[in-house]
This record gives sequence, structure tokens and C-alpha cells, in this order.
Amino acid sequence: MISALAMQAQMIRVSEHTLSNGMKILIHEDHDVPNVAFYLFFKVGSRNERPGVTGISHFFEHMMFNGAKKYGPKQFDIQMEKAGGRNNAYTSRDVTVYTDFFPRTALELMFDMEADRIRDLSFDPKIVESERGVVSSERRNSVDNSPFGTLFEQLNATAYIAHPYQWPVIGWASDIQSWTMDDLKAHYRMGYAPNNCVAVVSGDVTPAEVLALAKKYLEPIPSQDPPPPVRTVEPPQLGERRVEVRRPANLPLLMLSYHIGSARDPDFPVYEVIETILTGGRSSRLHQRLVEKEQLVLNVGGGVRPSLDPGQFLFNFQVRSGRQPGEVEKALYEELDRLAREPVPAEELQKAKNQILAGFYRQLKTIAGKANLLGTYEVFYGSWNQINEAPARIEKVTAADVQRVAAKIFPSRNRTVATLIPEQRAEVKP
Amino acid sequence: MKLLLPLLLMSAFLPMSAQVRLPEFTREQLPNGAVLLLLPRHDVPLVSVRAVFRGGAESEPPGYNGIAAITAELMRRGAGKRSAAQIDNDLDFLGAELSAGANRQSAYFALEFLSRTAPEAMAILGDILAAPTFPEEEVRKVLAQAADRVRAAKDNPGMAVGRYFQGLFYPAGHPYRHSGAADEISVARISREEIVKYYRRMACGKNLILVAAGDFDPASFAALARRTASALPAGEAFQPPQAGQLRFERPRLLLVDKPDATQTYFRIGMPGIHRRHPDRISLLVANTLFGGRFTSLLNDALRVNAGLTYGANSILELDRLPGAIAINSYTPTATTVQAIDLALEVLQRFLRTGVSAEQLDSARAYIKGNFPTERLETSDQLCNVLADLELFGLDRSDIDTFFQQLDSLTVESLNAAIRRHFTESNLQFCLVGNASAIEKEVSKYAPAMKVIPVKSEGFAPPEF
Repeated sequence: MISALAMQAQMIRVSEHTLSNGMKILIHEDHDVPNVAFYLFFKVGSRNERPGVTGISHFFEHMMFNGAKKYGPKQFDIQMEKAGGRNNAYTSRDVTVYTDFFPRTALELMFDMEADRIRDLSFDPKIVESERGVVSSERRNSVDNSPFGTLFEQLNATAYIAHPYQWPVIGWASDIQSWTMDDLKAHYRMGYAPNNCVAVVSGDVTPAEVLALAKKYLEPIPSQDPPPPVRTVEPPQLGERRVEVRRPANLPLLMLSYHIGSARDPDFPVYEVIETILTGGRSSRLHQRLVEKEQLVLNVGGGVRPSLDPGQFLFNFQVRSGRQPGEVEKALYEELDRLAREPVPAEELQKAKNQILAGFYRQLKTIAGKANLLGTYEVFYGSWNQINEAPARIEKVTAADVQRVAAKIFPSRNRTVATLIPEQRAEVKP
Repeated sequence: MKLLLPLLLMSAFLPMSAQVRLPEFTREQLPNGAVLLLLPRHDVPLVSVRAVFRGGAESEPPGYNGIAAITAELMRRGAGKRSAAQIDNDLDFLGAELSAGANRQSAYFALEFLSRTAPEAMAILGDILAAPTFPEEEVRKVLAQAADRVRAAKDNPGMAVGRYFQGLFYPAGHPYRHSGAADEISVARISREEIVKYYRRMACGKNLILVAAGDFDPASFAALARRTASALPAGEAFQPPQAGQLRFERPRLLLVDKPDATQTYFRIGMPGIHRRHPDRISLLVANTLFGGRFTSLLNDALRVNAGLTYGANSILELDRLPGAIAINSYTPTATTVQAIDLALEVLQRFLRTGVSAEQLDSARAYIKGNFPTERLETSDQLCNVLADLELFGLDRSDIDTFFQQLDSLTVESLNAAIRRHFTESNLQFCLVGNASAIEKEVSKYAPAMKVIPVKSEGFAPPEF
């Protein structure tokens, strides 16, 4: 019998600063490779949108690469790649994150270019139109031509009836075609205030040099009003909801959503332990039962993600040929009931904790992983320093916690079920 | 997400950068022929291990596509005294992660575990490599899953186009025609008996490369690793097949009909090079400029300027045998011809005007700048680098002189290499999309054209 895995108390060291305009800067030194990861977390996402302009946060993520005052169209990418760097970005319901990866020699260039686009983005109508085509293509690829993407969108639109989490991050197709220049400018003013941003620099740097560059380039950007608070609170669900999609496919899909709390919910560590017991690794309960023993599905996916507003416990399954989503549902509900009814054996609970703690280390392997983790903790959990307490929070979860929380979140009235039923013939307009 | 980055590429820069070097490692050949490569480094308290068997797709008997990966998967499903479920449980308890699979020239096991659990984790790996039991029930299950994975792949045209492309590009009998992926036909044919036979032939000391990088004490870990590798018999070293340079007599077009698709996914290929080819460095630079990064010619034209797609890139395959250079993108059904015409125009311009000194500098900087975080930052990456060097018969100078080799390129030498390898003639087109909407228009690219339904078995078209 193997004992619990001990963790070091201090997992990561950070130098923390707040500029006079309200921008938060987190700096982590790591000199293993001569490179830097620079992550900018803007606290704006699809939750800050409204019907008619859904997807505009994500569209903006694209526009931020299309030219500003000092560095014109294409220049952000051209200059960056010429200096040995590359970039990416992602948008979620809660945040828009810009990720820059580059050799340390490009550090000042990156501060200059980031400041330029945060302060002085340009809005060329021709570029806006061309970018609409790009985003439409992205949507066609990730939603229309993907059974998973199609069903996931329907699931969320059904699970939420009031809160903005109901619409897709990429936006409804009609909104992508329709937003106006005024919509874009308003969104820029709302989301891209320096006081609405957490910047993380991780890698081959010293805190002094980063801070000096931040003061030179980012501090002069004036602060503005941050996005207005999201007022709508999703009302409690009153009974099971179901949605069905029929489209050509070889295999059925099944997805489920249960409402849970936000990242600040004191039970969030319990959600993570439940996630691991049910879906973490091949030894997890659902993998063993559904994939290996009953062979109802090809894979088990889902779990929890930290969110600013109350989020979801998700499950998704690619159903095997010849099997029905209903069979999977029945087995799943039995497992969820069992979790609420019987205490998790001590060894199984310890296994889940070991998996979660090893997962923390995996996120610390790269400077990019550390930058992402620091920003995520700062934005979602209130402080980067919570990383150092995360192992202890997981360690404290008891078998009784797991039972209590499972009983709270998995009743049938709290769930939404989405199924994709394969059809041989359907009219899908191009 | 802004762009799906092209497979395989390294990227970025340092203006006056010093040469990067591979950290020190040890190489030892064991009495059974296995090669042991160890690279201790103390960053996070994790150890990465790769057990690599030479062979992969190249070693699959005709008609048994996918048997290398299926055998690797089954080796972890029952070994020594442990059942599949026990192996899963024991690895998860350690917080370890194991993946098993195969590529064109090898089958691999990638294991990562917390340093302090090394004896337990290596004992499990040792059983998987040397004492798999291939339980009948697990064999049936894995084969049935493989069949459903093929069905799922055909529901996702973005995933399927790469497999159909290989079936078009590589001739019958070529090991890369299936590239180690199972299909409906091979899955029906593979049996436990064939799997055991294949395992006995390939899983031997003379084919094994065992690599570890990470947080370990070299002396005590070497003892563990030797024990793991020595449990295998010496066996017979796999002799990989030979294949000449690919040549095409005429352009061909394979159109896979998926009537519900709203976009056309396309890949356009020409003959490329192998991993040890002297033009590799030139083509890394050329491919970076052509379609290997965001500002590449293809992405700039199709995405940034025309808004026809979310992404356009080019793929430079670098395997043991010569592979493909391929343009890769997708676009709405209605703009299929517009996008393909534009991609071909970009290719034509690239051939006609070549690259400038400024472009060479930029690509060189991009490759150098991204190299450390893509190849040398984590223990997993270092394991992959060491395993590849051994697999391809290269030594550390491949990494240690990489920047110098980039620096030695000139505009003239680069453009000459581009003219040697890039071509507009006899291109091989693979499209997955709604055939009834595009069939007529796309026939202009190649008089030799075949249309097959996505429902037909396998991924390889009949010869044409």
C-alpha cells in the first residue's frame, strides 16, 4: 500500500505589482530556457455580451491582431515572428487571454506592441469584413462540421435560460454576420481597460526589468470603467431538461450538464475530487464501467472548469455503434446515485487526490503553463497565491464531503440532457 | 484560439543567438541490444520515460494496418500478474500517466510519474514491455473500439482528410499508405494470434530504445531502467523496408463525398524528403515561410487577406522514408475553387520569386526563437529528441549544430533547394466535402479524378 504523495508547501514564487492605472503584473522567474511567456488576461468574455452581439468578445480576440497606431495591420505578427516569437489567444465565457511566447531578446518589443494595441487599436472596415469570414469559417469548422460542437452548443442553450452562459463563445452565426463598427468600438472601451487586465510574465527575466518595462509602456495607458457587473443570476432549475439533435453521423453522442457553483464556491475542491473519481484516468468509475465493462461508450469526458458565475458539471460520451444513449444515461445515473449514497473508500479517495496533485506539477513544467496557472488563479480564485494553498485544499476533502456535494448537485431536476441521434438523410444547408 | 498550428514545426529567433545545446546524457547498450539513454535534470519532481520499439507502421504485415498501435494498446491491458484494470488503477494511484501508440517508424510507451514513485512505476512498465498477457476479452474490446474510432473519424472531416490524403499519396504496398492507423478492413482481420506473433517479432532488446529524462539519481535509476530493458530477449533487429523517391506521372484528385459537409477540407501534396536528407534545414526554413507560421504566404493569402478560411498551412513530413510536402486548409463549399486557386497561385509565386534575404532572416529567427520551448524545455520533449536521434541514427550534433546549420544557409542555397523540391507539376489533391456541389468545378485540377463516398470502407482509394 502506497502512502499519500507529499507536496512542497511553496510551489511557485511570484513578484506582484499593481500599476497606478490599476493593471496587475505578476512576474515569475525561470531561467531554464532563454524564453519568456507573456499572458494578458482581460476580464471580458461572452458573459459580458447580449443578444445580437454574441461572439463579439471572441471576434475581438481576432481584431487585436489587425493593427494599431504604431504597429499597423499585420505588423504585430510580422514583427513578433521576425523577433523569434509566436502568439496565440483564447476567449472563454469569462476572459479573453492573449498569449505571447518569445526569446528574452524580444521582451521590450512585446511590451511596446501590447501597449500599442491596448491603447490605440484601429478599426479598418475592410479588415473587419475579412475577419468576419475567418470567424465564420472557424464556426463552421468547430460547430457545423463537428457533431460534438453542434451538440455542446445546444446543451448550453438549454441548460441556461437566463444567464449569458447560454450562448456560444464563438457567437450565433447571424450575430457574426451582423455586428457593427459601433458595437466593436464599445466592446473595446468596455473590455480593454488596463484596470481590467492581469498581465503575467514567466521565464528568463528579472522582476526589475519587467517592472521597468511595464512602467514605461503599460502604466501611461489611462484607466477606464471596467465592464458593468453581470446582473442576471440563473434561476434554480425546476426539472430535467432535454434537447435532441438529429444529423448525419455514424455514432450517437450524449452530453449532460448539472448546475454547480462558481470558482469561489467553497465546495470547488470537492467538485474537483468528484470529477477525478468519476472521469479522471482509466481507473475512474465511469471509464471502468462505461468504456471497459459495459462497453457502451468510446470515451468519457467532462468535469468542471473554474468560472466567474455559477458553472456546470459536464459529461460527454461518444456512444458505441449499436448502443443507445438511454443505456448510457441509466448507468451514469446509477453511478451518480452511488456517489451520494455510499462513502468513497479511503484508497480511492487518496488515488483521486494523488492524481490531482500530480496534475498540478504537470502544469508547472513549462513557463507557459505557469503563466496560465498564475493568471487563472488570480482571475478566478482571487489571488495567484491560492496556487500554493491548492494542494492543502484538496487534501482536506473528506468522503463525507463527496457524498454531501454529490447529493446536492446530481438530482435529476438539476440536469440537462442532450443527445445527438444519427440520421442518414438530413438537409443541411451550406 | 487564433490558429491551429501546423504539425511538427519548430519555430522562432535570437538575433545574435548562441547555439543551443542538448543537455548532457548517457548512452549505454545492454547485452540484449537495448539502448538506454538517461538525462537527469532537476526541474519539477517528475520523470518522463519513453520505451520505443523500432518498427511501427513500417513493420506491419500487409493487410494488418494498425496492428502496431493495437498491440501497444493491448500490452498495457494485462501484463505480469496485473489485469488491465489493475494496471490502470495502480498507475492512477501513483499519479502517473501512460500513453501507448505507434507512428510510421516506431511503437512507443510514454510514461510520466512523480520521482519518488520510480520503483513502482518502472516495475509496471517492465511488465508491460516484457510480460503482456493479451487477454482474449481485451483483444475483442480493443478491436471493437478501433472499428468505432474509424466511424467517429469519418464524422469529422477535418480529422478524416489527413487519412484519405495518405491513401491517395502513397501507393499500394507503401508503409505510409495507412501510417499505422487501423481501418474497417484491417480491424476485421486482426486476431489475437496475429497480435501475439507480431509482439514476439517486434518487442525485443535489439529493437528497444529506453529513454528517461527528469528528476532522478543517475546511478539508482539506471539500475531500475536496466532491469526493465533487460527483461526482453535480444531477438532479431527489425530490417526496415526500403522505398525510393515518390514520383507522380500526372496530377490526381480524390474527392471524398460527405453530403452534409458545409466546408471543403483539402490537402494538396507533392513529393518531399526524409529526416536525414541534406536539404532538411533548407526545407524547414522554406516551409516556415510557405505555410509553417501565422505570417506564412499561405495563411496570409487565404486567411488574412481573403478571409476564406480559419487557417491555411503546409506540412513537411520528416520520417525515415521520403514523405510529402502538403498544403492544408478548408473553406466554405461555395468558395472551394477560389481557395484552391489561391493556394496554387501562392505556390506558383513562391516558385517563381523564391525568398528574399529578409524572409530568410525572419524565418531563421523564428525557428531559433521557438526551438528551446518546443524541443528542450520539458523532460517529455527531451525524451522525444533523444529517442528520435537514436531512431534515425543521428547524434547530438543534430541539435548542437542546428543553429549553425541555419546560419550557414544563403538566399541562393535556399532558393535552389526550393526549386529542387517544390513543384507545381503533378500535384495530388485530396478533398473531403459535398461532392454534388463541387465535383464539376474541381475536375479542372486533375483529369484523373475519383469520387468515393465517405461511407465506403477504408481510407485508401482504388488505384488510379
